[in-house]
Amino acid sequence: MTKEKNPYAGRPGATHVEAVKERFPGAVTDVSWSTDYQPVITVDADSAPGVIEYLYYERGGWMPVMAANDERPLINKFALYYILSMEEQDKCMLTVRCELDPVSGEFQAVSARVPAAVWSEREAQDLFGLTGRNILDNRNLVLPDDWPQDLHPLRKDSMDYRFRPAPTREIENYDFLKDTGDHETRVIPMGPMHITSDEPAHFRLYVEGEQIIDADYRMFFIHRGMEKCAESRLNYDGVNFLAERICGICGYAHSVAYAETVERAQGIEVPKRAQYIRSILMEVERLHSHLLNLGLVCHYTGFDTGFQHFFRIREDAMDLAELLTGARKTYGLNIIGGVRRDILASQTAETFAKIDKLRDDTKRLCDQMLSTPNFRKRVEGVGILAPKIARDYSPVGPVVRGSGFARDARWVHPFEGYQYIADHHKPFTEESCDVKGRTLVRVHEVLDSMDIVEELLRDELPAGPILNDKFHIEPGKFAIGYDEAPRGENVHWSMIGNNQKTYRWRAKAATYSNWPVLRYMFRGNTISDAALIVGSIDPCYSCTERVSIVDVKKRKEQILTKQQFEEYGRTQKHSPIDM
Amino acid sequence: MFKPIKEMMRVGNATTKYPFAPLERPEGARGKPEHDSANCIACAACAVACPPNAIQMVVDPKGGTIMWFINYGRCIFCGRCEEVCPTKCIKLSREFELAVMDKNDLEETCTYPLQKCSQCGKYFASAKEVAYAGDILEQQAENDEEAKRARELLSVCPTCKQKADAYRAKRRVDTVGDPTPDPTPEQMDEARKQADKNKAERRKEARF
Repeated sequence: MTKEKNPYAGRPGATHVEAVKERFPGAVTDVSWSTDYQPVITVDADSAPGVIEYLYYERGGWMPVMAANDERPLINKFALYYILSMEEQDKCMLTVRCELDPVSGEFQAVSARVPAAVWSEREAQDLFGLTGRNILDNRNLVLPDDWPQDLHPLRKDSMDYRFRPAPTREIENYDFLKDTGDHETRVIPMGPMHITSDEPAHFRLYVEGEQIIDADYRMFFIHRGMEKCAESRLNYDGVNFLAERICGICGYAHSVAYAETVERAQGIEVPKRAQYIRSILMEVERLHSHLLNLGLVCHYTGFDTGFQHFFRIREDAMDLAELLTGARKTYGLNIIGGVRRDILASQTAETFAKIDKLRDDTKRLCDQMLSTPNFRKRVEGVGILAPKIARDYSPVGPVVRGSGFARDARWVHPFEGYQYIADHHKPFTEESCDVKGRTLVRVHEVLDSMDIVEELLRDELPAGPILNDKFHIEPGKFAIGYDEAPRGENVHWSMIGNNQKTYRWRAKAATYSNWPVLRYMFRGNTISDAALIVGSIDPCYSCTERVSIVDVKKRKEQILTKQQFEEYGRTQKHSPIDM
Repeated sequence: MFKPIKEMMRVGNATTKYPFAPLERPEGARGKPEHDSANCIACAACAVACPPNAIQMVVDPKGGTIMWFINYGRCIFCGRCEEVCPTKCIKLSREFELAVMDKNDLEETCTYPLQKCSQCGKYFASAKEVAYAGDILEQQAENDEEAKRARELLSVCPTCKQKADAYRAKRRVDTVGDPTPDPTPEQMDEARKQADKNKAERRKEARF
């Protein structure tokens, strides 16, 4: 190939760019690299589905998320950024960008060909008022069903972030999907408040006798509007602290992912020591998160002794976090350019001691858990996630690794401190595709995390500064930030605007990718396993949902007494909620 | 079956006496921010840095006061205030038991006087902040004369300073004439080239 024909030869992703150009002549209007590892292909909106299908199925791509952006104030267009993680040959994070008409906002939905895009596209329809032609699922995702139809919160000209519109209708009009064939089914509702889940989500199980034939769900009851809040109220460097509050369990991973978007887009070099510290803290976070889920899986299978013991040793992991960061959760240590607190020699020694103890405890408990016959019977062959479904929907974390795919952002696209140790680590997978597989992946990873913390702390931790604060922010640049949270890959996308603000921030939590496959995991199981299956994706509701629409029409606060609450719970009449 | 029972026997009692006995937190644990009101100069650096707006400054330009305000209910214990404070008067303590019976008890305030402009008489900045800047300038001054002059200048508000500068420039023009001569043709060419370059760059940026 001559030099003229391929000016990008050698850059990560160049072969994909060439392949797309060859396969779809004339579709590509622009090619650039937002960072060394992140090529951006701009294609015309009509050929986007074809290009993405080709990259996804034929060139080993997976789709974490699509970010929509209202660029009308900049270029008088809406823009869509389909982010693809190319994991087989020529690894890179590839963005397929397309521009949409500013008035109609119509686009050819990619989800018709690549189902993994379905949630992102539904979200773009809700929050930006775009219209996806042939979209796989046309229902509301994020916005409540009584939200005004023509109000799209993330459009730059739509509303103030504090505005709360009045509900437009009384009745619930969400169509639940039902694909039960000729079975005669009954509906079992689960949630929005259910004893087995700590956060609200509504499931409808269509059952025949004990068997679940199909299931559907409605979520986003607690969408908190963080993206809108970040771009309206916070400065770009304050968003770190908000990002950390996306999740109560794996918040630090979000904070790292956001910091990465800005650092990469602006070319800010993070000191090596800070990269190591970030990786160490992410592993510490994984410790407590996986121990929590291992405890919960015991709880769901009726092995409550195991549950109590896992939570007991999880406390040691929390103590470790408090020792290193000053807080049990929401460490608050990230800032653009590095971290805010160093790891001292005395803390290192104490960390080693704690990890030794934790490793012994974890090994012993996992052994007990896996040798309990009741436990094995409850998890084997339950909640099967077929590899075909997994390939279509791009789930992440232990869910996809439990179905045999070696997807782990730490080792597939090494970042931060992991890039220095990636040569002798690889993702751990299980082939059984059931709850047991996912549990085993977690058991392995929790032990692996301890080794990684030790490895990073012991020989490797380089000396030097932990913060780089000499940088200049240029508006308009964007990049992807990704990392492996305990539940899977978090992908953030941000573009910096004027006035020190984030112009657009798209945060994708791991569980966001895992919900769409849940429906398939339910099918064919019994009702009693439903909670276990939900638990096995280690769901994280508020991570997925970033806006809470509270009705404060009357600007009134009201406290219910326990009696009122119970009375209403029994009779469901005369609602005491006067708002 | 017997393994869990053995584990139970091995571990024994895992709970602690808290809240009936105090809970030890490690060195460096982050809790309630403690404000040293005597050393605070009400410069508002903490209020600017605070991500959740737990710390705010409330200015009363008529009464001539500036109020430092914190709501512990909003505080996320990130410690940004501690980092940015020029006088080190905010420190995060290890105190974490902040529950109150009345929400208002979560709020604390501290009021400081504002500095009056010696020219126009309007309030323009925290008096302690002005004094703090004066102390620094005094230390750096080479002689008493310079120190005195720095102090005098500090008590003038930015608006009056701008006005004074404008009058001084006008007087100079009136007496000496226009101090900026017409540019030479070479200088004009240079300026045009620079303008074109800037325009091209802006166009490139505007694509995003």
